[in-house]
This record gives sequence, C-alpha cells and structure tokens, in this order.
Amino acid sequence: MIEINNLTKRFDQVQALSGLSLTAQDGRITGLIGPNGAGKTTAFRIVYGLLTPDQGCARVDGVNVAEDRMLAQRQLGVLPDVRGLYPRLSAREHIRYFGQLHGACGVALEADIDELIARLGMSDFADRLAKGFSRGQELKVALGRALVHRPHNLILDEPTNGLDVMSSRAVRELIAEMKAEGHCILISSHIMSEVSLLCDDLVIVAEGRTVASGTPDELRSEAGADDLEEVFVRILARTSAKAEAAQ
Amino acid sequence: MTGQTSNNWMPGWIQRVWIVLKKELRDHSRDRRSLTLALVYPMLGPLLVAGGLLLAGKTLQGDFREHAVTVPAVGIEHAPQLKTYLENNNVRFSTAPPTRQAQEDAVREGRLAVVLIVPQSADGQGAFTIELLTNTGRVDNLRVTSRLSAIVRGYNDHIADQKALAAGLPTGYATAVKIARVNVARDANIAVFFYNMVPPLVIFMIFLGGVHLAIDTTVGERERGSLEPLLLAPVERWVLLLAKALAALAFTAVTTVVNLGAFRVFMGLAASSSDRLVAPPGWEVFAVIFAVTIPLMAVAVALQMSVAVITRSMKEAQIYLGLLPLVPALPGMVMVFSPMNPTGVTVAVPVLGQMLLINQLVGEQALNPQHVLIASLTTLLSAALIFLLAAKWFRREKMFVLG
Repeated sequence: MIEINNLTKRFDQVQALSGLSLTAQDGRITGLIGPNGAGKTTAFRIVYGLLTPDQGCARVDGVNVAEDRMLAQRQLGVLPDVRGLYPRLSAREHIRYFGQLHGACGVALEADIDELIARLGMSDFADRLAKGFSRGQELKVALGRALVHRPHNLILDEPTNGLDVMSSRAVRELIAEMKAEGHCILISSHIMSEVSLLCDDLVIVAEGRTVASGTPDELRSEAGADDLEEVFVRILARTSAKAEAAQ
Repeated sequence: MTGQTSNNWMPGWIQRVWIVLKKELRDHSRDRRSLTLALVYPMLGPLLVAGGLLLAGKTLQGDFREHAVTVPAVGIEHAPQLKTYLENNNVRFSTAPPTRQAQEDAVREGRLAVVLIVPQSADGQGAFTIELLTNTGRVDNLRVTSRLSAIVRGYNDHIADQKALAAGLPTGYATAVKIARVNVARDANIAVFFYNMVPPLVIFMIFLGGVHLAIDTTVGERERGSLEPLLLAPVERWVLLLAKALAALAFTAVTTVVNLGAFRVFMGLAASSSDRLVAPPGWEVFAVIFAVTIPLMAVAVALQMSVAVITRSMKEAQIYLGLLPLVPALPGMVMVFSPMNPTGVTVAVPVLGQMLLINQLVGEQALNPQHVLIASLTTLLSAALIFLLAAKWFRREKMFVLG
C-alpha cells in the first residue's frame, strides 16, 4: 500500500505540492490524473525517495520513505516517464543489473530474468544492445527492470506513452494481471480511455493538491457527466472557479 | 522471491560497489570514445616526443672529427694557411652564391647552413677578420657555425703557439686561461632534454584518461534519463559515485600504462636510431613511475567526478574538464626549463610532489622513500576530501531533478 499524507514541496519560486494526500490500496489500480505541472511527477519522486518533502510524508507498506529510503525502494517497482536505458547494454543485461542492485544473483536471478523476458515478449531482442530499440521495446525493458525484484507496489508513470495499439493492449493486460496478483498499482496517465479501462480509484490533482478522489463512478456522479474526460474537465473548472472566488 | 545475494561474507556496500563498477566497465569497454581516450590518445604524446628525439638524433648523428662538412666559401684563396688548417680538420669548400644578398638569402631561407667569407685584405696578412653568415634560429646552422668557430679558435691557438716558439717562448704563452669542461650530467645529451618532457605529459594524460567516463556516468546519465531509474535502486548514493569513480580510475590506470609503455618503446626506438643519443630509462623505472602516480590518478578522478556532478550538461562538463589537465601539467612544463629540487615541503603539494618524483626517476636519480611517503599520503588525502565533496554534491536534489 502507498500512502501520501499532506505532502508539500517547493522549488525556488515554484510551489510544486501544496498538501497532496492519497492512498493506493493493495489489489487495486489507483490513477493519479491532473494537468501538466499539477505535481504528479514530484509526488512520485517523493514516494520513491528521489526528493525529500518540505512537509508531510510518504509511506510504502508502512515504511516512511524519508526515514528508510532503501527499505521502501525494495518494495517498490517504478516505471518512470523517461525510460533511460543504457545504449551499450542489452535488454537482458539491463534487467540483470537492476536485479543485482536489489540484492538478487545467481541461478535464481537468471530464472527470474528468463521468466520476465518470456512474460513481456522480449525473446527476440533480449540479447541485443538497447541502442536503436523502438519505444515499445524500451518500455518492455524498463518494465522488466522495474519488476525483476518482484515488488509488491508499482508506480507506473505514463505506462503506454508512445506505444502502438497492440503494445498498449499488452501493457494494460500485464497491469491487470499484476492487480489480480494483489499488487498495489499507482499509475499516472493522460489517456482517459486507458484510465477508464484500468483504474479502480482515481485521484485528480491540480496545483499540487487533491481536488477530487473516488471510484470512477463516484466521480461521474459528483461531476454529473458520464464521459471521464468530461468529468476531469468539469472538476478542474470547478476548482479554478473556487480558487478565483477565494481571491 | 528473487534469487538472493550469495556473497554474504562481503559487506553489502562492497557488493553494490562491485555490481555498479562491473556494469560501468562493461558499458564503457563497448564505448569507442572511452576506448580511444584510453588506448589511442596516450600514444600521441610519446610519438611526438620520440619524433623530436629522432630528428635531434639525425641532426647530431656523426662526429665532427670523423665526418667532413662542406662549407660554401668566398675568398678562401686569400688565406691559404687557414684553408689548409680547415681542410686538415675535415672541412671542404664549395662555391657560394655570387652576391652578398644571395648568400644572406640562402642562409636565411635554410638552403645553406653557413657561408664563410674571407676578405681580399687578408692576402698576406697575419691578422684579419673572417665573416660567418649564419642563422642562429636553426639548430643545423648553429651546429656548423659552432664547429667552424671551434676550428678557427684552434687555428688561432696554433698560430699563437708558432709565434711563441719563434720568439723563444713556451707554447700556450698567448692564452692566459684555458677551459677544460667536465660534464657530470647523465650525459651531455639532447635526449635528456626530451626525457624531461615525459613527466608533464604523463600527468596531462592522467588528468585526461578517465574524463569521458567521469562525465558519461554522472551528468551524462542525467541527460540520457538513466540516472533516475538508477537512483530508484536501494543503493547508497555515495556507493554509486564511488563505483563510478573506481571505473574512471581503472580507465585512467589503463591510459597511464599505455602512455608510459608508449614513451618507453617509442623513445627507445628513437634513441637507438642514433649513436649520439643516450637510451631512455629502463622498464623498471617506468614501473616505479606508474606506482608513484597512483595517488595522482585518484586526485584526477576525484576532481573529474566533483566537476561532473555540479555541471548542468555534458557540454559544460567537457569544457571544464577539457581545461583541467592543463593546470597540473603547467608546473611540469615550467620545470622543463627551470628545474626544482624535491624537499619535504614541495613533495607534500599534490601533483607537484608527483611531478618532482617523476622528474627524479626520469633523471635516474634515487628516490627518497620519505618523500614518496609524504607525496602519496598528502595526495591520497586530497583525493579523499575532494571525493567526499563530490559525494555531498551528488546527493543534492538539483543533481538529478532540476538540471
């Protein structure tokens, strides 16, 4: 389970987070949606220990990330928006490297790598250097790297960004399988159809704080619209209006 | 559950250093730029020095007393006694250009090394002035001019002795003081000048060998976006930086081995081409130079890492780190022309200490073990302090988020 409590974070003149809170439950897919600059990536970076919050805290399976970053990271698998592969390492070497960094080694690690390669459909390029990989291949390597230590909690930032239809579908199926296995999954996406298909819970973020949360049906009812994109637009418009009225 | 670490006897942080170090070495052994910098660049300095040495050897090749030199001469027939003396000293004469202007042009432009002019007024005279048109900007001209001057001085002494004998005086009467030079240097040899260029060039390469790796594994990773996934792994930041620094150190060590080996091979080949050049120091001396420079490699890598982690882009890092090797090499270049003696204080200064020790080794002088100890300790301490600073900067959020 991932818990975010009242996070605030400021970068020089920019207030990135202003008291963001949310909870992502085990066995459910929680979608974090919001406009660009809403603070989603900053919140993720605090959860996986890259940034320290000014106030508030993030917990992964009860572990306060700021107090024990490495323990929290062992229970997290992360797919960042920028895949960031090493062009001179093969797909298999990428997964092995990150498995080893998580403390795995030997025959068991190699078996896990083989299983991931088969599961993610990477067999035909597993031993090729990453330079020249397509976006879909890059995504699969990044997913393999995030899953090699079998984390209970997953953070997926734009998991289907730039993928073709078939690859997107394969990723969605994988995410659904992980949910069925009881993993806690927190995703960020701008693709409302994908959010609608995948997410059990939604958290809408604007200006660094939570402006609405609930199941898709609860949010549809709250906004008075069926289409999730329309729900998103109405909630943001309502938030802006409230902010202007307060000024 | 995933396969667990089996090397339980080894502290966890050392295992993590080893994992990252192995990855960086594998990654960069496939990188053409890293390999070029480690294996090809270190050949260039030795090739240049050996080339210079080869040319110097050719210039010096042969002995004045054994080999004839041909000098274009004007009016030599006006001084027959001098002509005979010069011919007896292996000087031959050729026809000089017809006019004074043509003679000066030929020497200035390097077509002739020297032109000897004996005035018509010398005819039948005991004392007269000869002119040597020369170009002191050229080493080959200087050599012929110097040889002719020495023979003419010998001629003067010969005439003076003849006159002294004719007057019933002892030979040498007209020369109050004679100079006998005793050279105590390793050899009165131009080769030693070239060997003195080795220390600054070795130090220059030490500061260049791991630079690409230092940049690529820090600010380069940030630019490619691979640093963020790496920082998501449960590894201490200082462990990551240490492993990357060790990888850069390994490449620097390879660069230094290639550099020193190339110096020994190329200089040895150049020196063997001439019987006038003394051989370079032996392989054992170059092995000691490598050992003495290990702390310097640590300082170089620590400086590279610290600059690389605070720069905003690879381009910015390349600019700063491209200039870095010039700074430590500068005292070495000064010392080529103005040597400094090692003391307990001077060897304690990082870089300068190693420079002085390498100079001693190249000059085939014995090292003072105390100096080696002081230089190594102070330099390693400096490397550790600089690395700690780099590790502190590597933890900053700006390092990987704001760029």
